[in-house]
Amino acid sequence: MAIVDTRIETADGPAAAAGGRLRRPTGRAPSEPKAYVGWLFIAPNLLGVLAFTFVPLISVVLLSFTRWNLVSGFGGIEFVGLDNFLAVFQDPTFWRSLVTTIVYAGVAVPLTLVVGLALALALNRDIPARGLLRAAFFVPYIVNIVAIGMTWQMLLDPEAGLVNQVLGVFGAENLPQWFASSNWALPALILVTIWSQAGYANLIYLSALQDAPTQLYEAARIDGAGRWASFRTITWPSLLPTTVFLLVTLFVGISQTFGMIALITNGGPGDSTTTLSFYMYQTSFQFYRFGYASAVGLVTFIGIFAIMLLMWRAQRGRALHD
Amino acid sequence: MLPASGLSLSRRQFAGAMGAAAGTAAVAGCSSGSSKDMDTLQVWGGIPAESGPQAVIDRFQEEHPGTHVTYTRYVNDDRGNLTVNTALQGGVDIDVFFTYGVPNLTMRTNSGLAADVGDLVRATPELEAFLDTEDPKALIDGDEITALATTRIPQMVLFNEDLRERAGIELPTQWTVEEYLEVIRALADDGKYGTYVLPDIARIELGPNYRFTKDGNSNFSHPAFLKHFELAAELIRDGVLYPWSQALARQLEAYQQNNFIAQDFGLWTTAPYSLRFLTDQENYPHDFKVACAPVPTLDGNDWNTGEYGAFLQINSKSPKQDLAWEFCKFWLLESAQDVVKAGYISLLGDVGDDELLDGILGEGAEEFFDVDSFRRTLFEDQPRMHLDTELTAYTEITQKYQQQRDVCWLLERTPQKAIENVDSNAQALIDRFEED
Repeated sequence: MAIVDTRIETADGPAAAAGGRLRRPTGRAPSEPKAYVGWLFIAPNLLGVLAFTFVPLISVVLLSFTRWNLVSGFGGIEFVGLDNFLAVFQDPTFWRSLVTTIVYAGVAVPLTLVVGLALALALNRDIPARGLLRAAFFVPYIVNIVAIGMTWQMLLDPEAGLVNQVLGVFGAENLPQWFASSNWALPALILVTIWSQAGYANLIYLSALQDAPTQLYEAARIDGAGRWASFRTITWPSLLPTTVFLLVTLFVGISQTFGMIALITNGGPGDSTTTLSFYMYQTSFQFYRFGYASAVGLVTFIGIFAIMLLMWRAQRGRALHD
Repeated sequence: MLPASGLSLSRRQFAGAMGAAAGTAAVAGCSSGSSKDMDTLQVWGGIPAESGPQAVIDRFQEEHPGTHVTYTRYVNDDRGNLTVNTALQGGVDIDVFFTYGVPNLTMRTNSGLAADVGDLVRATPELEAFLDTEDPKALIDGDEITALATTRIPQMVLFNEDLRERAGIELPTQWTVEEYLEVIRALADDGKYGTYVLPDIARIELGPNYRFTKDGNSNFSHPAFLKHFELAAELIRDGVLYPWSQALARQLEAYQQNNFIAQDFGLWTTAPYSLRFLTDQENYPHDFKVACAPVPTLDGNDWNTGEYGAFLQINSKSPKQDLAWEFCKFWLLESAQDVVKAGYISLLGDVGDDELLDGILGEGAEEFFDVDSFRRTLFEDQPRMHLDTELTAYTEITQKYQQQRDVCWLLERTPQKAIENVDSNAQALIDRFEED
C-alpha cells in the first residue's frame, strides 16, 4: 500500500501543519483535526507533570533562598538570599554525605554494569533454561523495596545471618558486622544495590547484544579473531551507547537511593550511610528546615546533572555506530 | 472539517474532553473546603481510640448533650507528625490536638498553631499545677500558656523476679548507680545479659535542659556525659549490656519488650506504657513475675529519666475555642481512669493511686507483678521528672548524639572521641541556630 504524504493546512494555519503528518487513506472523508483535540488528549498527563514535577522543581528553587519550617505556613517564609547556599558549603555533614554518595554510586554503578554485562553475555548464549534464568535474574529488580530490606537485614545479621554462618563454616574469622558497623554498612548497602539493580542492566544489555552486528563477528572469525578480540573490538564498542545509557540512568537512580537506606540503616551507624538524598530527607522532614533542604537538593541536582553531561560527552564519537 | 453542530463530537474529541474533565476534577479535588460543624469537635491524638480516648469522649458527650467529638488517631512518628503539621497548616478542621515530644511542641507553638490558654488556666483553680514555673508541666512564655502536659511518664527499673532471685539480689527500694552496676553485673551470667541499656546517667545527675549550659552553650563536655558513654562501652565489652551491634542490626529499640519477655536480660529500664506488654499474656506469654525499682541515684542527684508528656493544645484557628477548652479541661481533670489502660498516668485527676495501679497492671496483677513495688516506685516515691525548655536545634543535636553513641557502643570509637564530637557538633548547631 502506498503511503501518501498528505501535508494538510489546518485551521490553525500553515505553521501548525508544517510538521506534516503521514496518513493512510481510509476511504472516509478526511476530517480536519483540531489542535485543541491533541491538547485535550495530553491535558491530564500534562497537568500531572506540571503539578507534580515542574511546580515542585520551581518551588525548590524558590525555597532554597528562604528559611521556612512548613508549619508556619506561607506567611512564615523568610527570604534569606544566599545564606542557605553559604551554609551548605560550610556544613561538614553535607560534605560527608557528598563523599558517601560518590563512593556509594561510584562503586555500585560500575559493579552493577559489570555484573549485568557478565550475566547478559552468559544468558545470550544457548544454554539450558535460558528463559527461566533471564526471568530469575530480573526478579530482584521488581521486588518490593521493603521485602528487599527485610530479607537482606536477615541475611546479613552479624550473629544469625546466613551469610556470616556460611563464612563461618569456611573458617572465616572476625566476620563482618555488615549493617551493625560503620565500616561495613556502606559496602553492605552497595552489595544489596548491585543485587537489586543488576537484573535491570542485564535486561538492557541482553537486548543490545541481540542487536549486535553479526556480520562483523563473521568477518572477525574469518580473520582469525579470538573471543576476547571479538569482545574488545566488536561487542564492547557496539555496547557503548547502551553502557552510557545505563551509566547515566543507574547513576541518577542510585545516587538518589532513599528507601533502602531509610529501611535498613536509617543513615547509620553514625552517619556512615547518610547520602545526600537521605540528608535532604532528614533536613526537611525530621528537622523541618525546608529552605536549607531545598538548597541541598538544588546543589545535588546541579551536581548530578553536571556529572550526567560529562558522561554523555565522554562517550560521544566512541561508539561502534558513530 | 468538523461538523457544524457543537453537540456532535468525534470519539477523539469526546475522549479528550473526558480526559480534560478528569484532570480538572483531580486538581479541583486537591482543594476541598470543609464546612465546619460548630457542635462537632475534632480531636487528633496518638493513642488508639480504644485504649482510652474513646471512653473519655463518650463520657464528655454524655455530660455535654448535643456535642459530638470525633477522634482521629495519628501515629506518633516522623510521618504521622508531618501529617498533623500539614493538616494544621492546611486548615483541616482540627480543634484540639495532642503533641508528643518537645521539638514538635515548640515548632507548633512558635508557628502560631496553638492558642494561648493562659487566662483560662489562671481562671481554673484545679489547674494551678500548670502555673508552676519551677517544675514546669506546661509550655509557658510569660503570661502565655500554649500546651498542657496530660501525663507523667516516670521511668522505672523492672526486674525479672526469677533471674533476680537466682542471682541472690535483694529488690532495691533506693539505690545508687554504683549499686545498680553491681546488680547488672550479677545478673549477667549463664548466657543472659544484665540489661538492655543503662539509664541516662547524665540526666539523673543534671535534670532538665542537661544538654545546655546556663548561658545556652553545649554542655556535653560535662563529665556526666563521658561517664555514661564510658560505662556503657565497658559493660558492652564485658557482655553485661545487650550487644549494641545486635540492637542496631535488628532495630530492637522499639522492641525491647520481646527480649525482656524472652529473658535475654533480667532488668529493664522503661516507663509504665510498656507494662501493657507484660499484662498481655496472650501475645506476650511469660511465666515469671515482675517487680519494680526506682531509677538509681548518682552522687545524691535523683532526677528521674522520665518526663511530662502528651501535651494538649488548642488550634489557634479553631472557631470553637470555648468548646475546645471545655474538652481540654475535661480531659485534664477527668480522663485518668480511662487512659490508664494504655499505661498513661494522668498528671491531674481525682482517681486514687490504687485505682491507677489496677488500671496499669490489669487483671490478675498479683500473679504477674509485685504490686507493692510498683505502688512504692510509681506513686509513693514521687519520681522527680523534667521538662526541657531550652530547645535550640533540639532534634539535630539529638541526632548527632545518637550517631556518636552508636559508633561508641559498637566499640568503633573511644568514648572520649565520641563525646568530643557530640560537643563540637552541638556547639556548631547552637551557634548556627540560636537565633531561630
